[in-house]
Amino acid sequence: MAEKQIWQKIGESFIQEYYNQFDNTNRMDIANLYSPVACLTWEGSPVQGREAIAAKLVGLPFKRIKHVITEQDFQPTMDNCILIMAFGQLQADDDPPMAFHQVFMLKFQDNAWVCTNDVFRLGIHNIPV
Amino acid sequence: MVDQPLWEQIGSSFVQHYYQMFDSDRSLLGSIYIDSSCLTWEGEPYQGKIAIVEKLTSLPFTKIAHSITAQDHQPTPDNCILSMVVGQLKADEDQIIGFHQSFILKNINDAWVCTNDMFRLAIHNFG
Repeated sequence: MAEKQIWQKIGESFIQEYYNQFDNTNRMDIANLYSPVACLTWEGSPVQGREAIAAKLVGLPFKRIKHVITEQDFQPTMDNCILIMAFGQLQADDDPPMAFHQVFMLKFQDNAWVCTNDVFRLGIHNIPV
Repeated sequence: MVDQPLWEQIGSSFVQHYYQMFDSDRSLLGSIYIDSSCLTWEGEPYQGKIAIVEKLTSLPFTKIAHSITAQDHQPTPDNCILSMVVGQLKADEDQIIGFHQSFILKNINDAWVCTNDMFRLAIHNFG
């Protein structure tokens, strides 16, 4: 089987780190994964800049959260960034599990791969009619 | 009402155009991809306009209709636009299924083209 492409390795590593910090820490350090001017759109609401993103993620209203990633796709972009799409389900506290979908864009800045764009949506919009 | 930011206008215009072409005549989609475009369709990679259009025009249904539930657009640091779409689709007489799609749009020679496209059906959320 072909060796994984470099963008896939970097992407997988980021995904693992991101969801590990999200689920297993108080998310105070998660800001370090973002660039200073990153954009987050969280369920349709825009959040601009690393500080605001950190505040948003630290302030989410649950005590426990667990993400299970079922699929992830990676692509290189023309500007040498990495586009990632992650799918799975999450469970907050004792709520029923819900589907989610998240897209990240990574850029190599100051010697590290950081997230410049992050779009998160729950899969509740997809319930078949 | 406040004007939408430019990236939202371009992004939503692209999304509307894309699904209109997809649902009416997929051979028209060649106009939005370039030779360096990448598509990941249900986990399978396709590289370049020709391969992408071949994949899309050979999809095994006669009728297709997409309905967009939500779309998000963001500007990227390299002056591209990231668009994420969540919706439902119906192929022929099959049952309605959820889907997720992400695009990166880039302005090349005064036209916005799609350089990156990732599509997945919503069946993947529960492994």
